[in-house]
Amino acid sequence: MSSDFFGPASHELSPLDKHPKIRYHIGLMPQRTIFKRFLDLPLRIKLTLSFLAVISFGGIVTLFMGTRLEHRTIFDLAQAKVRHDLASAWMVYNERLNDIRDIVRLNSGRESIQKALVLGRKDILHRDLEFVRKDFQLDILTLTDARGKVVFRARQPETDGDDQSKDPLVSRALRREVAVSTQIVPRAELLKEGADLAAKSYLKFIPTEKAAVRPEGHEENGLMLKAAAPLINDQGTLIGVLYGGVLLNQNYDIVDRVKDIVFKGEKYKGKEIGTVTVFQNDLRISTNVTDDQGNRAIGTRVSEEVNQAVLREGKPWIGPAFVVTHWYITAYEPIKDIDAAIIGMLYVGMLEKPYIDIRNSVMLKFASLAALCAVILLVILFFITSTIIDPLRGMVVATNKIAQGDLNHRVDVDFRDEIGRLAHSFNLMTENLKIANEKLLQWGKTLEKRVEERTKELREMQDYLIRSEKLASLGKMAAGIAHEINNPLTSILINTHLLLEKSEKKDPDYENLTLIADETSRCAQIVKGLLEFSRQNPPEKTRSDINELIERTTQLLENQASFQNVKIIKNLDARLPLIEVDKTKIQQVFWNLMLNACAAMPKGGNLTISSRLEDDRKYVEIVFIDAGVGIPRENINRLFDPFFTTKSSGTGLGLAISYGIIQQHDGKIEVKSEVGQGSVFTVKLPVS
Amino acid sequence: MTDKNKKKILVVDDEITVCKSIRQAIVSDEYEIDLALSGEEALKKDEEKKYDLIITDLMMPGISGLDLLKNLKDRKSITRVIMVTGYPTIKTAVQSVKMGAFDYLPKPFTPAELRSLVSRAFKAAVSEEKGEQGIEEAKMPAGLHYMLGHAWIKKEDSGLATVGVVYDFLKSVGIITQVDLPKVSDKVSQGEVCGKVTDAEKFIHRIWSPATGRVVEVNVKLKDDHSLLRKNPYREGWLFRIEPTDLEEDLKGLILSK
Repeated sequence: MSSDFFGPASHELSPLDKHPKIRYHIGLMPQRTIFKRFLDLPLRIKLTLSFLAVISFGGIVTLFMGTRLEHRTIFDLAQAKVRHDLASAWMVYNERLNDIRDIVRLNSGRESIQKALVLGRKDILHRDLEFVRKDFQLDILTLTDARGKVVFRARQPETDGDDQSKDPLVSRALRREVAVSTQIVPRAELLKEGADLAAKSYLKFIPTEKAAVRPEGHEENGLMLKAAAPLINDQGTLIGVLYGGVLLNQNYDIVDRVKDIVFKGEKYKGKEIGTVTVFQNDLRISTNVTDDQGNRAIGTRVSEEVNQAVLREGKPWIGPAFVVTHWYITAYEPIKDIDAAIIGMLYVGMLEKPYIDIRNSVMLKFASLAALCAVILLVILFFITSTIIDPLRGMVVATNKIAQGDLNHRVDVDFRDEIGRLAHSFNLMTENLKIANEKLLQWGKTLEKRVEERTKELREMQDYLIRSEKLASLGKMAAGIAHEINNPLTSILINTHLLLEKSEKKDPDYENLTLIADETSRCAQIVKGLLEFSRQNPPEKTRSDINELIERTTQLLENQASFQNVKIIKNLDARLPLIEVDKTKIQQVFWNLMLNACAAMPKGGNLTISSRLEDDRKYVEIVFIDAGVGIPRENINRLFDPFFTTKSSGTGLGLAISYGIIQQHDGKIEVKSEVGQGSVFTVKLPVS
Repeated sequence: MTDKNKKKILVVDDEITVCKSIRQAIVSDEYEIDLALSGEEALKKDEEKKYDLIITDLMMPGISGLDLLKNLKDRKSITRVIMVTGYPTIKTAVQSVKMGAFDYLPKPFTPAELRSLVSRAFKAAVSEEKGEQGIEEAKMPAGLHYMLGHAWIKKEDSGLATVGVVYDFLKSVGIITQVDLPKVSDKVSQGEVCGKVTDAEKFIHRIWSPATGRVVEVNVKLKDDHSLLRKNPYREGWLFRIEPTDLEEDLKGLILSK
């Protein structure tokens, strides 16, 4: 069963099914899609439906069980009452029977009646018996002789002389017994006792649905409460029998009496609660059950079911029964005659409607209560789900707003539960998003600038590296070349000099030879310079005061005669930290830069030297500013290349060597220059 | 001059042009000059003939000039050796002087430079024979580092170093007519020219610097009075002072006077 709803059991899953995504997307199982469709419903509806389902289920179960319970108890009570009422009905019935017996018996002992019987005085009998009959509302009162032959009928004196000795009660009385019981009286007898009695007993069957089939279609006999008593004189001799009775057919005294006693005339919605019926066989002969028109429902018959149980099987029957027009809680018991044959039934019924109505009203109240609860629940649910749904909706809205760019939007949720915390987190996230976004924007703005800076840095680094490589490879080459060149140079030089020695100044070749010798010497110088340049021994760094090195170098400068026209201005920051440098090499750099500055100002000028610690405290900066001829743009890039010189003398190695030294110190050397204005050389040395 | 009185000189270099050029430069009636193209050849030749002077290239394949020098010293030869060097090997040249070479000659050189050196070499030999080592001025004070037959250097307390020439050098030069000293702030390198002395015969003798550094002071008194040099080469006759770059390293190539 479960597999029908949830899909195949796990052990039945095919490889395809095990893949969760495929399951949902292909929708292999239709049952699954129903469930999924349910899941797709809005939250509120899902919750509501679920709750309703639970309540309905609970409600229905409770209702069902409640009604059954109630039914049980109430109807059990009702049935107990009916049984009780039937017992009361029997009491009334039997009381009437006993009354009849007592009258008959008493009057059977009356002297006057006995005398009149013996003497045959019908006028006295008429007078006395009729008086008794009328007084005690007997339908018949008849006197027989000792053989059972009717002497006088009070009701119908014209009929007499018939033999009643066969009558069950009379026969008993003839045996000196007092007999009393209910009896079926055949039509023929009824006619003898009174023609109107026979007419009363004649009843055509009214078709009743559930009744047993009876082909005769009518009843002509009667049902009578009868009693018989023997007349016994003083001598103890039986002289006759007196019997009397009341015809129950269409006689409503008993039934009405029972009804009044038991049900006290209570009505329910205009209908009598209680009903009593006397049945002759299965025919209603006396009842206060009314039909639609309000007439007593005599002539109708009892259901087959009751017929079978009570008339045939002789058992009492209690239960709900549909009587003529309504449902009653009924009780039936058999009426037996003197021979214990079942001749009829006594019935008592209580209108079921009140009970039904009670039950219905209880159910209704129950159902109403349940409905009310459901409604209240729905209302509460609505509010509760609002507390979940509204914030969630708010977050969806906020998400959309944020997606559109409004980062100031916040979700307004106050409570502290999970939803509240979610909203709070959401807000935090939005806040952070906003901050991050701003940072990003900020970054974006400066990015371009930073890219520019970085590109410049990289280019400088590249130039630096290329230059370093150049120098390194140059150095390696230099040693080898120098050595190789020296030998041929030696030969050339020597032989040229020898030639020179052999010639004289006035010789035309003298000048040429001198030129050769000089140029060869120059070659040697270049080679020497080259070797010096290539022989870069590693720097020996010691903690030094840069300002001190500058001072020493400027001192040397001031001593030089050729630099007299140059004024040295010093702006040295006294708070420079000591840094690790090779004193000699750094001084060589300073010396070189200063010489160059002086060379650029042949007519004199100011040479400004300043030192400071850079803002980020990473480098010490030494700046050499001259107001000299300046360096043309096209030369600036080549300035630090070895052998680059614009002077007629010099090897062009000074700046290259300086560059190499600064490189060895992980520093930087830069130049800015304007033709005609001067140059600025900046040396940066790292603070270790 | 008879063959016997001629000074025997051997020129050793792996390049024939250089050998010939050297020979051309010093060719004279007083000299008998032979050539060798390798250290092995030189040794062989030296075994046959005892030379007075060997002029050899330092860097040669096989037996180098240094090996040759060592060999000669081991044999307790009195032959004077002049090392001819390319610049990269100045350090080894200085080392060779320490080992006993008379002097070294960096390439390329002019014939004049060579001749000066050769004449000095022979003059020194002569004065040695004459035994002039007992003179007071000739005694070098202890604690000085010097290059054989050249310059001395003294470490001062101030961190500077004083440079001067040794007596043997002065002797080999003879009468000094001119002294050329470096200028203040000039850079000097060990084994390279730091000053010049001109003698009566107009030979210019180069003074090799004993150490590398920067000149911070020059003996101005020497400008006026050359005799100070001769009289007191180790004290008042100092030449110049330097701020040395790597004195410890440089001193390794020098001899400590006792």
